[in-house]
Amino acid sequence: MKFSTQEFLSLSGMGHDTLTAWIEEEWLIPGGSVAEMSFSEIDVARARLIRDLQMDLGVNDEGVGVILNLLDQLYGIRSTLTELREVVRTTR
Amino acid sequence: MKDPYEILGVARTASAEDLQKAYRKLAKKLHPDLNPGNAEAEEKFKEIAGAYDLVGDAEKRKKFDNGEIDAAGAERPRQKYYRDFASSDQDHPYANNSGFTDFMDSEDGFAELLRRSARAQANRRGHDLEYRLPIEFVEAIAGANKRLTLPDGSTLDVAIPAGITEGQVLRLRGKGAPGSGKGGFGDALIEVEIRPDRSFTRQGDDIYLELPVTLTEAVLGARIKVLTPTGAVTMAVPKGSNTGTMLRLKGKGAPNHAGGHGDQFVKLKVMLPKEPDPELEAFISGWESGKTYNPREAVAT
Repeated sequence: MKFSTQEFLSLSGMGHDTLTAWIEEEWLIPGGSVAEMSFSEIDVARARLIRDLQMDLGVNDEGVGVILNLLDQLYGIRSTLTELREVVRTTR
Repeated sequence: MKDPYEILGVARTASAEDLQKAYRKLAKKLHPDLNPGNAEAEEKFKEIAGAYDLVGDAEKRKKFDNGEIDAAGAERPRQKYYRDFASSDQDHPYANNSGFTDFMDSEDGFAELLRRSARAQANRRGHDLEYRLPIEFVEAIAGANKRLTLPDGSTLDVAIPAGITEGQVLRLRGKGAPGSGKGGFGDALIEVEIRPDRSFTRQGDDIYLELPVTLTEAVLGARIKVLTPTGAVTMAVPKGSNTGTMLRLKGKGAPNHAGGHGDQFVKLKVMLPKEPDPELEAFISGWESGKTYNPREAVAT
């Protein structure tokens, strides 16, 4: 499932300026070209997470960057652990 | 649903600030995306988020305190969380392995395992892509060739097998997302959605159709044209047919697994002419036995 910039903005209820700022911060990394960006479901879910962090949890912008970086590492380790489990299982 | 104040662990008299503080404290601990491995967190978070949606809003809180609304249905509907995507093994731009690259550089068995898993990742098959394809009733019975236009503008040709049923999923091998390295393509999974038809309905392999006939055709019998999903056929309406008479067209239903076909059942509906007809009225008023038979015998009054 891929979304255009317009679809993404309405799905995540945010404005164009916010999106530009988030992309500059590398909080969001859309696919496609600069002229025609393309978003997937993980981008929508990530935007919602950032909103939750800001609105619900009261995290400020600096904090959001730190949390996202740590979360990305956490999820990276989790998926490698999943891979490892697979490798261990198949080589036993 | 439990009492929202109880869920948030505050007194009913708590100020809006205290409510927010209590909510944030719980949400920090329980937000599903901050707890990727904790299945329970999502349920609990849903509960506290629902409670806060209710009493965190001054207006709703007033209504709730006055008993005008209750906590039922206040739970936030299930949504897709970031963790649902980030934990899956699909490639995404946010994946970050920097947290353990130092482990990979050593010479022990663990590092070897890590390197092997990195290689496996490099040759992974592409993931499956899911689509929905609405088709017409007739196409589901007779089969069809459809072309699906994908969001990126490319197209996918789908052969609909005759007799397909609602919700059936067609798998097109190798038409999914590209893999990495020698991984090859994933599959396209196409879920078929059958649009209801104005005339035909289906029960199992059999097809039902209600067909209006004239009074003359019903009384005297006739050969009439009937539509089936695979084309028109001629059917004999026997003399003395009635509204509700069910006629069977053998083998004109949907194909079944046994290699045969179901049947099409045609239910007749006798229709008088649209405009009142003086000739018919004159005949009926002189038709004696028409005044004595009772079609409502079986109907309780």
